[in-house]
Amino acid sequence: MRRFVVRVWALSAKEVRHVLRDPRSLYLALGMPVVMLLLFGYGVSFDLDRLPVAFVDHDHSAASRALRRRFTAGDDFVDVGELDADGAQAALVAGDAMAVIVIERGFERHRARGERATVQVLVDGSEANGATQLRAKAERMLALLGVDGAIRASGAGAPLEARTWTRFNPEGKSAVFLVPGITAYVLAIVAVLLTALTVAREWERGSMAQLFATPVGRLEIIVGKLLPYLAIGTLAVLLVLAVGMWVFDVPFRGSPAALALLSFLFLAGMLGQGLLISVITRSQMVATQAAALSSMLPSMLLSGFVFPIENMPQVLQWITVVIPARYFVEGLRGVLLRGNGLAELWPELLALSVFALVALGVSTARFQRTIA
Amino acid sequence: MSAPVIEARALRKEFGGFVAVDDVTFEVGRGEIFGYLGANGAGKSTTIRMLCGLMAPSGGAATVAGHDVALAPMRVKGAIGYMSQRFSLYRDLDADHNLEFFGGIYGLSGKALTRAIERAIERTGLSAHRREVASSLPGGIRQRLALACALVHEPAIVFLDEPTAGVDPASRRDFWSLIRELARAGTTVFVTTHYMDEAEYCARIGLMVDGRLVALDTPRALKARYVPGTSLAISGRGLDGAMAEAAALPGVLAVEPFGARVHVRFREGALDEAAVRTIFSREGRVDRVEPVEASLEDVFLAVAGEGAKEAAA
Repeated sequence: MRRFVVRVWALSAKEVRHVLRDPRSLYLALGMPVVMLLLFGYGVSFDLDRLPVAFVDHDHSAASRALRRRFTAGDDFVDVGELDADGAQAALVAGDAMAVIVIERGFERHRARGERATVQVLVDGSEANGATQLRAKAERMLALLGVDGAIRASGAGAPLEARTWTRFNPEGKSAVFLVPGITAYVLAIVAVLLTALTVAREWERGSMAQLFATPVGRLEIIVGKLLPYLAIGTLAVLLVLAVGMWVFDVPFRGSPAALALLSFLFLAGMLGQGLLISVITRSQMVATQAAALSSMLPSMLLSGFVFPIENMPQVLQWITVVIPARYFVEGLRGVLLRGNGLAELWPELLALSVFALVALGVSTARFQRTIA
Repeated sequence: MSAPVIEARALRKEFGGFVAVDDVTFEVGRGEIFGYLGANGAGKSTTIRMLCGLMAPSGGAATVAGHDVALAPMRVKGAIGYMSQRFSLYRDLDADHNLEFFGGIYGLSGKALTRAIERAIERTGLSAHRREVASSLPGGIRQRLALACALVHEPAIVFLDEPTAGVDPASRRDFWSLIRELARAGTTVFVTTHYMDEAEYCARIGLMVDGRLVALDTPRALKARYVPGTSLAISGRGLDGAMAEAAALPGVLAVEPFGARVHVRFREGALDEAAVRTIFSREGRVDRVEPVEASLEDVFLAVAGEGAKEAAA
């Protein structure tokens, strides 16, 4: 047992020295998460305001002019002018307006009589996310003004349903929602890539063969190699969360223990994945590509980070079941936004444990067989 | 010879149908320098890999430092030092950190590790290069560092697989004086090389041809057996034409071109320098005739030639 500790320590110390000797991987591990978070948080905001709206006023009444004024009084919409019916279509096509509000003839008369007064909202649906938000905002505004809106999307026919019921993130801020996703995305890349590289490097340099000629065991090699990267990964998680809370006011409502366990299990799984790649490829070149591809795409596209899993085609939804990033993102959102603890998050924790065990187990077994 | 520290009995390794090592039997005593020679693919590395516990034998048995290589490979690995063909140092780490790592891998820590590193540095004469990154060291020094890494846990036996491949002659000489000092201090050295001049330093030599150990003895005994008699080296011009005639001289065992010179080998006591001069002067010009000692290269060629003849028969 003492020998085990001594050997693992020797391997870990060496790994730390490699990293310190060439700190580029450290920049990658700690710099990239922060840069990505700032980029996504500020630049790639999914929040929409100051949406350009044009009007077609068939009523030309005091009431219709009042509607137009009140509609664009807030920050949500900007009045880009009044058009005729043909011009409205052209403005949508040209992208000058994201929506056109058509006020029907007799609008003032209907309102005065207390009858249903209707306006039509034409929305540019070519950008689905924007269209959904715009529709929700327009509906809320019209409801406030006491008007029935018949909303129709042009372009890609998006469904007409716009239900707004926001809890846990009432302002609908992107950053709050994005931090868990970015954490998963960046951790996945860093953990898989760095592990894949460090092990592949030993194969390529021939030092792996040298290690096999010493009394060090496979498990010792694996533990010794993974420990430093587990530490780096943990540091990256803390950094991302700190920046998220400090810059973007991401709340932390749940249990720190659950967060620690989630991060540990996710990292262990990602390190196992990296190890498996490098045991199979044994070349840094191939390992880099396989690692980037197998970590980036699933954690970006299939984790629920960018695209909600419920909106995916059924086949893709099935695939996400084996994507660990999905459970990590879900778990993080639970801990940070919904105030969850271990009691609520056990399914996520279980799924992450299974993935970590399988990845580490398979790669250790492969590692055993490759020598002999 | 004291009790053997390496013992191979009918050691055998097959890959599919191919027999890489075929019934090899030998013993190596404590403090001996044992040279293992052979062409590429003759089975040298495969033998070393089996003896180091890296590969299980397909047949036969071997014990190293008292441990059976098939049954207790981990114990064998802990008892030996191994320096592979490709120096597998960590090039981005300095000499001390490389030693620290290998010491740790062999289970050394704390004061014992510090002492072991000091001793390895001292033995290999690396004290001037301790803080230098391995990649910036010249080849000869780097190879000494690799040896130091194989010695840091003070093993009773070291296996050196082509340790001097690609190193300049001066560094090779230095390296071999290190190896001899090691052996004098009681470390057993098992070394493979394809430099025949280096093989002269070995106490005993095993010669591998096509997976079989075809010769095993001291360099002197091998020469006496495979290259008997005395040789003359003739230098000059236009010597080729007279070679057949020289071979017909009484008592001549062999006539071989050797670089720009021709070697004529006589049976013991049959040396006739005057006759050689006469024959070669007739066709060309003889500058010098001098006696030469047989080299291990001659032994190797003689043994390999025998092997080829056997194969043809």
